[in-house]
Amino acid sequence: MSVALRNAQRVVPVRRAPLRRAVCALRAALGASRFDVGLVCAGNGLMRRLNGAYRHCPEPTDVLSFPFHRVAVGELPRPRCRDEYNLGDIFLGVEYIHQQCRATGEDFDSVLAVTAAHGLCHLLGYQHNTKAEWQQMYQKEVEILEELNRLTGSSLRPLTAGLF
Amino acid sequence: MLLARALRAAAALRPALRHPPRRLLPLSSSFSSASPRALLPPPGSAPPLARSLWQLGGGGGRTALLRPRRGSAGGVSCGCGGLHTEGDKAFAQFLTDEIKEEKKIQKHKSLPKVSGGWELEVHGTEAKLVRKVAGEKITVTFNINNSIPPSADDEPQEGQKADEQEPDLTSTPNFVVEVIKDDTKQTLVLDCHYPEDEIGNEGEEESDIFTIREVSFQPTGESDWKDTNYTLNTDSLDWALYDHLMDFLADRGVDNTFADELIELSTALEHQEYIKFLEDLKSFVKCQ
Repeated sequence: MSVALRNAQRVVPVRRAPLRRAVCALRAALGASRFDVGLVCAGNGLMRRLNGAYRHCPEPTDVLSFPFHRVAVGELPRPRCRDEYNLGDIFLGVEYIHQQCRATGEDFDSVLAVTAAHGLCHLLGYQHNTKAEWQQMYQKEVEILEELNRLTGSSLRPLTAGLF
Repeated sequence: MLLARALRAAAALRPALRHPPRRLLPLSSSFSSASPRALLPPPGSAPPLARSLWQLGGGGGRTALLRPRRGSAGGVSCGCGGLHTEGDKAFAQFLTDEIKEEKKIQKHKSLPKVSGGWELEVHGTEAKLVRKVAGEKITVTFNINNSIPPSADDEPQEGQKADEQEPDLTSTPNFVVEVIKDDTKQTLVLDCHYPEDEIGNEGEEESDIFTIREVSFQPTGESDWKDTNYTLNTDSLDWALYDHLMDFLADRGVDNTFADELIELSTALEHQEYIKFLEDLKSFVKCQ
């Protein structure tokens, strides 16, 4: 039901209201509006620590997702009680993303929304370790971003475009 | 707070302060050679208030230190009429050392600036930052009294050695943001807080750097708080509305960067006032 948004860094200005709107719309497009999601805007330091602790890769990155449930790809969790209406937490590496946008000239807010979409898909079991997995995830990202584009008039494309 | 600072300042040089209070006896040689027995007072002669302080030291024989030494070679003849006890002398010497240590570790000799064009006004323990942007005046007011949160745990954390340096004390005061628009008679007032320490360091670095607790409109220019005006409490507020309020503040320069710099400023001011207080206390104890 709720999107718990936290901005835990001071390096990059983050507009909270539009980010929340985007995540809520993406969550709805996934059919998961009744589930809570945690969203933390993190700096490189925190992302480095989490990446090192959980993926043994102590470097900053753009997004880390921590699912609450283990689900089959694309399936919604089946909660047994109110506390389990939780998709999990997404850590957006806003500092890393901002640095990338400065290098590529892309719009920061757009990339933030696309990265959030990617993170949400990970919470629902989508992966991109193989080409088949990537195709499945790419399709889902296209689908939910199209819904966001329809609502906002933007033309966002998935993060995984061109990965394979 | 005084005890915590004493422990911090003296940790490197005088670990004795962490030991039982018997070490609080003055360290000058003129006293260390005196046998406690020689200082025992006649029964019932020590001031009752002073005795209660020294009972912590576990020594009934210490009460004699509180007797004023009138007419003795070491007596003070300033004529102020105040007590000049041995305890006062020891206290003043202790304060001299403390002030010296505190000044040594003082991070900012002058108050640090807050970026973004804020003007600072300080009145004792209260500070006010003022900024004008377009047709608006934004003020941020805070008080450094009681602004250092107590340590959650005095025991060493898991993996931490007992003799590791204590972390620096930081001041995280509540602060009030007032936004006044030129053409309105109402001031939007937002009461902001720094989050209290969450469990472990992980919680702290994953949370907002500051939060808005309450929001209210107050008549501009009136010093009295109008408590018949509605006050919005954010505890149960719609999160989208909360985010809009945070974006509103950020647009006016009150963002995470500002909140971090305010901590630096508040910590420096608090330390400055603490040293001043020690100096005033020393003057008061030595001679009123």
